[in-house]
Order: sequence, then C-alpha cells, then structure tokens
Amino acid sequence: MIPAAELTDYTPAVTHGASHSALGFQYIGARPMKRVVIRECGEFEIPCHYILDLTKTIVKDCTGCWSCWLKTPGRCVHKDLDEFYKAYLDTDKVIIFSKVSHGFVSGSLKTLFDRMIPLFLPFITYKSGESMHVPRYEKYPEIEVYYEGDFASIEDRNIYEDYIHRTFYQFYSKCEIVKPMTQISLDLEEINR
Amino acid sequence: MRTLVINGSPKARNGNSEVFIKQFIKGREASYEVCYAAKEDSRQIAEHMKQFDTVIVAMPLYIHAMPGIVMKLIDCMEPAAVDGKSMGFIVQSGFVESAQSKYLSRYLSALAKQLNYTYLGTVIRGGSAGTYMMPEKMNRKLFQQLRMLGERFEADGSFDAEVIKELARPNELSKGKSRLLQFFFRLGLGDCIFWNMMLKQNNAIDRKFDMPFVDELLAE
Repeated sequence: MIPAAELTDYTPAVTHGASHSALGFQYIGARPMKRVVIRECGEFEIPCHYILDLTKTIVKDCTGCWSCWLKTPGRCVHKDLDEFYKAYLDTDKVIIFSKVSHGFVSGSLKTLFDRMIPLFLPFITYKSGESMHVPRYEKYPEIEVYYEGDFASIEDRNIYEDYIHRTFYQFYSKCEIVKPMTQISLDLEEINR
Repeated sequence: MRTLVINGSPKARNGNSEVFIKQFIKGREASYEVCYAAKEDSRQIAEHMKQFDTVIVAMPLYIHAMPGIVMKLIDCMEPAAVDGKSMGFIVQSGFVESAQSKYLSRYLSALAKQLNYTYLGTVIRGGSAGTYMMPEKMNRKLFQQLRMLGERFEADGSFDAEVIKELARPNELSKGKSRLLQFFFRLGLGDCIFWNMMLKQNNAIDRKFDMPFVDELLAE
C-alpha cells in the first residue's frame, strides 16, 4: 500500500488561485485544530465545528445518476449534504463513530460514503498500479474511526477494518486509527488534544 | 427450485445490474423472481427472501462495496431458520480490475456464513460502467458468459468456477498495463475520452474540475 501522503501530489490540471491557508487548512502555532464528527453511536463530548448525527438525520441515498461528475461537476443532485461537504473540506480531522451492522459499516454510513463521490473526479489515474479516482480538491482531512459492535472472528473484524482503511486510502485521507470504541476512554485525551 | 434475484442498483431497471440479470436468467425467467432494492422497502424484501431457497444479489460496486441501499437491506436480514439455503452475488464495477471488488467479496462470503446460507460465490466483472449504453455486439462475449453462468447455475445450483474466472479478468493490472493506461490518462485518452464526451454533451466540460464547496468557503 502506498502512503496517502505520496498520493496527494495528484492535482487537477488547472490552477484555482486558492491557497490552502486561506481555507484554514494549515494552522500555525496555537490555532485550534478544526474537527468534524460523524456519529451513529457513542455519547462523547468532543469539541468540533460540525456534527453529522446519523441517528437524527437520514442522508439521501446516491442514485447513481453521475450528475456530480458530468452535469453539475462537484455538486450532487441532493442538497442535504452541502454544509457537510463544506465542513469536511475545511477541517483537519474527521472522527467517525460507526455502529457495526452485520459485520460491516451500517447502511446509513455506507450511503454517506457513496455520497462522497462528488469530492472526486470521474477521471481515473493508474499511477499507483491500480485504478484510482483523481482528487477534485487539493486536500482532504485525516480520518479516525471508532466502532461499536462485535465480530464473530478476527477475520470478520479484519474485513471491516481493512474496508475502512481501503475506503479512505481511495479518498486520499490519512486514516491510521480504526479502533473499537471500548478503547476510546484511553484515547479521549488524545482526541481532545 | 425458485430463486429470488435482488437487483441492488440504485438505478433499478435502468442500469448495468439489470442488463447482467437479464442475461443470467435469459430463457429461464419462470424459475426466477426479480425484485428491486431501490423500489421496495428493505424490511419487506428481507422478509420476502425467507420464502426462497436461493437468493442472488446483483449490484454495482460503490466505494469498494455494495451501494448504501443494499447495505440497508442487509441491515434488515436475519439468519435463515433452516439449513440448506444458498446465497450468491454478482458485482460489476467501473474500475477495470476485479481485485477492486475483493473487499466486498470477502465481506459477502462472511455475510452468507453469518446468515446461515451456503455461499455460492461472488461473480465479479470490472470495466462495466457503460455496459448498458454499449451496442449489443460489444457486449456479445460478456453476455455469452453470463448466459453460461445462468445455464450452469440452473443445472446444479452453483456458480461455475471457470466462468467466474473468465469474467473476473483482469484480476489485477500488470505493471505494463497500468503504465500504458497511465500514459493514456496523461494524454486525456482511454476512459477520459468517454468522460469528456459526456461532459461536452452536458455543456459541462468547462466546469469539469470545479471545486464548488471550496469556492463557497472562500466567499464566506
């Protein structure tokens, strides 16, 4: 696997005149880290500037229409995630509290993953030796996933964890932490840092 | 033996999964019932499938796995109360290499076990994004393979390993192939031609690299 850092040099072949710092991506010194939380379980008080609470919001399913690639580039036909997309692109870190369903990410979280495709281009690069979508934006946040749920075997747990790592590898995000929520109390301090 | 085929495409009758299913059941429609995850209630489908001994789910690959609507259906599935039922999957992806679907097939194999179904296997076909738009003759070989898969399934209730292997080619991209494809990509050839053509048709070619949400952030 190629570290995400080596892949972020893919940029669309245009210049946009936007510098990272203007977007709040690069913080210097004591400025607090911006954070987004996506949750479908877990009751933690984590300071963040945007929460997508999947226990309260039903994200519309991707219809497979390709409008976000081919008709209104970068924009989905559904508008329900517009604020989320903005927060996602303006943050350093996204923390996901995932409720495992049948050994996998739940349908609600999977729908959210499907709806991330407007953040990438239809074009496919083969630079890493396999097919990968080209990023639409210049930078994507780091991801941490904490999950709640049991697995029948270590292999079943690996299937879930490997899938999460693979997804965010393809989404050009650094994703080193995919852990059961039972370990979170030890890490809360780290998260809140 | 009657089989329930679940079309897991969000595009229901208008996508590639429908084309795959049509070929798979061609000539044997009487033994199959087809239902649509995008059109019917997940709980009802999960309940309905209990009446069948065999369930086949055909779906597109979305973000290395099943579409959200298929996972919502799986959320509702319960383990079979009796032994001897079987479950198989047909996955088609836009990415050309079938290895892109391995995260999904690994999960589907574990899922069948979890639900007390015998796992028939996952048929994987890459490079299928435009199958439903292609003229029939370009799909001839694919359709033959899918019909053969259906025929053999009808004969012994399993997915033929040889046909699965054929359909899955290429499994991974060789170094030479990925270099060639990357060369085409840099020149705006290969699959870029298809995307650019569609963008032009929609008068969206000048906006293809738009970054709408960063533009909004900057305007704030």
